[in-house]
Formats: sequence, C-alpha cells, structure tokens
Amino acid sequence: MKRYILYSMFLGLIWCFVHGTVNFNNFLIGALLGPIVIRPFRSLYGFENKISYQKVIRKIPKLMRYFYVLFIEIIKANIMVAKIILQPKMDIKPGIIAVPIRTKTNTGITAIANTITLTPGTLTIDVSDNKEVLYVHAIDASDPQGLCDSIRDDLEEYVLEAFE
Amino acid sequence: MNSLIFDISITFMVIAIIPCIYRVIKGPTIPDRVIAVDAMTTVIVVILGIYSYMQESAFFMDVALVLAIISFVGTVTISKYLDEGAVF
Amino acid sequence: MIEIGLIQDIISTFLLVVGAFFVFLGMVGLIRLPDVYNRLHATTKIGTLGAFGVMLSIVAKVGLEPIGVKAITVGLFILLTAPVAAHMIGRAAHRHGVGLCKESVIDEYGKEYNK
Repeated sequence: MKRYILYSMFLGLIWCFVHGTVNFNNFLIGALLGPIVIRPFRSLYGFENKISYQKVIRKIPKLMRYFYVLFIEIIKANIMVAKIILQPKMDIKPGIIAVPIRTKTNTGITAIANTITLTPGTLTIDVSDNKEVLYVHAIDASDPQGLCDSIRDDLEEYVLEAFE
Repeated sequence: MNSLIFDISITFMVIAIIPCIYRVIKGPTIPDRVIAVDAMTTVIVVILGIYSYMQESAFFMDVALVLAIISFVGTVTISKYLDEGAVF
Repeated sequence: MIEIGLIQDIISTFLLVVGAFFVFLGMVGLIRLPDVYNRLHATTKIGTLGAFGVMLSIVAKVGLEPIGVKAITVGLFILLTAPVAAHMIGRAAHRHGVGLCKESVIDEYGKEYNK
C-alpha cells in the first residue's frame, strides 16, 4: 500500500511534467491514474521488499549530494573528451578493464553502471553473471589498477550511500 | 539579435548532421551505423527544441519527446537483435 | 526589471552556445575516433550534455511556461536513457564480434567471454 501511494505521487509528478503545466489538478489526475499503471507491471517495482516513509525521506539529502557529485563529474567528462577530440593527432590507449564492485542490489548496480558511463573516460559494457564485476571500456587504459581505485573510492561511496 | 543567434545555432546543428550521414553510409560495422542514427536523433531533438522556442509553440516539444522515446526503443531493439538473434 | 531580463538573456545565450558547440563536437568525434567503443564515448557523453544544455537554455529563456517544463522533461529523459542505450550497443557490438582498434592495450572482457 505504501508503495502504491509513493509511486502514484511520483507518476503524478511525471504526468505534470509531460503535460506542461504544473498544478494541483494535473497532479491529482496523474496520481489517481497511477495505480492502474502500476498494477500490471508490479514485478518491476519491487513489491517484495518492505518500505517506510522515514527511510525514503532520510535518503533525500544523500541523493542531493550524489546528484551534485554526478553533475561535477559530467562536466569534467565532457571537457576531457572534448580535449581528446580536438587534439590534432589521435593519441589514445583504449581498453576494456574488469572492475570489482561492492554493490549488491539491482538498483545499486544500475545506478553505478550509469554513473560510470557518464563520468570521465569510462563506459560500462557488461555485468558479469554473478553480479560482482563490471566490464568497463576506458579511453585511457594505461593504468588499470588506478582506474579501479578511483571508481571504488570516488563514485561507489556516494552510490552506496544514496541507493542502499 | 536573439533570433539571429537561434538561426545560427539551427544552421550549426544541420551542419552537425553531415558527419552522422557520413558514418551511416561509410561505417564499417553495423553497430557504427546504429550509433550514428542514435546521434542523429539527438541532433534532431535539439533542432526541434530550438525551433519550438522560435515558433512559440509547445507542440514541437512533444514531437521532440516522442522522437527521443522512439530512438531509445529502436536502439535497444536493434542491440537485442544483434546480440541474441531475436528481439523477444 | 530590465536587468533581470538582461541576465536571463545572457545565461540563456551562453548555455545555448555551449550546448550547440558540444553537440557539434560530439558529431566531429563520431568521424575522428577510431572504433565503435570510442565513438560511443563521444556521442554518449558530449551529445547528452549538449542536448541538456540547449534544453536548459530554453528553460532559462521562458521560465515555467509549458515549453520550458516540456524542455526539462526532454532533457532529463535524454540524460536518463543515453547511458542505457550506450551500454546495450557496446555489449551487442562486443558479442557480435567487433574487435577493438589496434591502439588498444588491454581486453579483459574478451578473455572472459570466449573461454
């Protein structure tokens, strides 16, 4: 029940944004139509886990910090790739590296894979079958160990805090 | 002055489609072509956004949203087909 | 009152120019970089941030009108789906048998997949 209310509010907000005018009427329409959308796709929403409002509210500051870090990293990534594209002679050492991760839940793995794709010089290719290793394509793979360390220390901390 | 800047950016974006078409025709492998089509859709979404502001009509933004959704679904479908030989 | 409009104009024009420049740069990268995975770097990161920047410039111009709100929606949607699409294409390309370019130094995925 709690999940229905939470996701309905979220879907109502999305409906407001798609409609173009953010007001209470649109939000109410979206939220009332929400359960009809959620019901057929219940297996995607993780109904087997318990959830509480306090936990969700307590996570909001951590999510804000995660998005702040993500934003900074995206801008750094763009400047780095732009430099590589604009240099007159291509001088790159690409390669695919196996990076061990500590995250266990599916949401956490999705979050860290997408974060890695948007951060400087790395792009997730695949997750291994036992969900312990990410295969990452790096545009500068001359130092695999350093790359693993930088992902574990800089990014994974924030993802672990925000999504688990 | 404002309208001039929007005109220039639309021209710039139309020029940016040329590399994508080159890559679609020339691209040595199929994933190259898929990436090029995906990038072309992003450029067209940007053009539609700017055009929507110039015409002061929100409907072009709807077109942009639908185009982005179709591009994402198409890319995922082609990738699954390349990967497993079947879509479902 | 006039000054607020001026600041709005400057921010919006700046974001528009930066966004359009980055999108253009991504498409140049599509030509210049050597193989599929490096091209994915160019289009995913640069194209996405460029599109998001252009959408933000429209929001800065019109505020919370319907055009602005829909522009935020389009920008967030692109930002959310670009990494997923890139991941799918990269995985499909590697399993389809597209090799890495000759400058590559290491390939740990190929060893795991081919055994």
